[in-house]
Amino acid sequence: MVFAAEIETDIPSGGIHMNNVAERNNVFEIKGVTKIFNGESTRTFAVRDVSLKAGEGEFIILMGPSGSGKTTLLTMIAGLVSANEGTVHIFGKNITHYTQRELQKIRAERIGFIFQNFHLIDSLTVLENISLVQHFSGTGRTHTRLHGMELLRSFKMECHAHKFPQQLSQGEKQRVAVARAIINNPRLIIADEPTASLESRQGFEIINLLNNYKKDHRACVIAASHDIRLKRYADRVVWMEDGYIKVD
Amino acid sequence: MYAIKFLRKQPLRLVFTIGGIALCVILMLFLFSVYGGVADGSVKYIRENKVDLWVLQRNATNILRGTSFLSTGHGSVLKSIEGVEVAAPVLFVLVTVKKEGKESTVYLTGYDPLTGPGGPPEIVAGRSVRSDDEIVLDRSFAAKFGYALGDDVLINDETLVVVGLSGGTNAFVIQYAFITLQKAREVIGFSGIVTCFLLRIHDSYDAATVAETIRDELPGLEVYTHDVFLRNNIREMEAGFLPLLYTIASIGAIVLTVILSMLLSINIIERRKDFAVIKTLGAPIRFLNNAIIIQACGISLAGCAAGLILFFPMVTVIEKLSPEVSTKTSVFQIITIVVVVIIIALISSWFSLRRLRRIYPLEAFT
Repeated sequence: MVFAAEIETDIPSGGIHMNNVAERNNVFEIKGVTKIFNGESTRTFAVRDVSLKAGEGEFIILMGPSGSGKTTLLTMIAGLVSANEGTVHIFGKNITHYTQRELQKIRAERIGFIFQNFHLIDSLTVLENISLVQHFSGTGRTHTRLHGMELLRSFKMECHAHKFPQQLSQGEKQRVAVARAIINNPRLIIADEPTASLESRQGFEIINLLNNYKKDHRACVIAASHDIRLKRYADRVVWMEDGYIKVD
Repeated sequence: MYAIKFLRKQPLRLVFTIGGIALCVILMLFLFSVYGGVADGSVKYIRENKVDLWVLQRNATNILRGTSFLSTGHGSVLKSIEGVEVAAPVLFVLVTVKKEGKESTVYLTGYDPLTGPGGPPEIVAGRSVRSDDEIVLDRSFAAKFGYALGDDVLINDETLVVVGLSGGTNAFVIQYAFITLQKAREVIGFSGIVTCFLLRIHDSYDAATVAETIRDELPGLEVYTHDVFLRNNIREMEAGFLPLLYTIASIGAIVLTVILSMLLSINIIERRKDFAVIKTLGAPIRFLNNAIIIQACGISLAGCAAGLILFFPMVTVIEKLSPEVSTKTSVFQIITIVVVVIIIALISSWFSLRRLRRIYPLEAFT
């Protein structure tokens, strides 16, 4: 794996059009990140002094027991949770002090998300679920529908375009979730237990879809999972325990 | 239009909400329409009896909720004042009408049908009174109590024949009836009193100057120009009706706000995870705000449309069942209601948006 040289991060916030060398290679980099959740009388260290970076075309699987900090780490990479200590860079930018609006724009345009229980919107059809993300990134309605149908066709799901999620099988739902994650051609896909609700065959099918996308688009995929069978698809397996990275 | 699509999974709840809003719209519009009818029926008598001056007892400002007793002798003095062309006496008195054991009250108006103003503003059936044994009834009063042209009406042991029906004489709580001045005096048993005089002034004289002369010569009287007297009566009518109208309309508006806020909030609470996912996926704040505002306004406008569709047939039925309920609906009233409902929708959105802001994207990962 080749990473660009270390880059300084004092680029003005708001500028998210990146075309430098560092950006082409380095998708995210977190340095010395710690996250503490404060309860009424307790302090929980979800992530402790974690550093991790990933480049284009990498498939990283975060493994570890429940409560080890995998999901917290994913949400910090996505800019959903801010770190108490350390810095988070995405696409060469230090997002630690980005505004919510800037983070929202990055998530809409450059990051794809896959959730454990699919989290498709029940009141929207399959096509609308997929098109919604493109809508967030400011793409016009006609284009989003055409692109959405094209994507469904490539997933052999076009006959389900106007169905609602509850009319689909578990495997079909997760394929729609993958389609939703990749519709904007993101360079980073964040997946939280993407195979947890699926049978083995469906799980492998989903991982294959993600793997193919990674190869075709030189995207970075980072997935939190308990599924040990996924190891063979990963370029790297990161083991987390008690908020620390134990093995990388 | 994702905002409306987000609502389509609860069609029954949506229908109930739109129905609730429609009922609130009907309630508010009905109140405004009744007010329109009352406003019209209360003062149309004064508006249509276009005289130059109204003369009443001092301190009496109106005929709706005021008492005025003048003697017939005042009429002679008024007629003698320079510039006065006609001084028509009118006697207003509340009397009980009996029919088949039922009693009802009318605002009996005695006037001189041959020489003076003071008669019904509009005859919708039959004709005006010509002799002392005749009466003109308000048409809604006649409909309610089953009087038709040619029927006998018993008032204080006096029997009168219905010769006409009048319009614009329904003041909601009371209706006008018209008889001759002579018969009105017989009904109350006092021959020398009237309530007021309606004065017409010669074209070559100024009404204000004549009024001043009357005040000088008859200090116990009050003189009003037509416009001032009309305004006095409208103010009096509003003082009696508007507090009730505002109270009930406010209750309707509060109910509407609660219904809408509850629907939107329940929708947000139930779909909490969806909103967390939407935020995670990168929904702009504007998208979420617009979604809630469009939902609130869309539901409200649907409720308005349903309310307006149901309102007019409903009013027709009510007016048939209760003829004394007289309504007058205007485009202005409808626009006002729609604007109020949209404002309520925006207020409800604000409550809901506060709830939405407390949903964190992180919840999508739980």
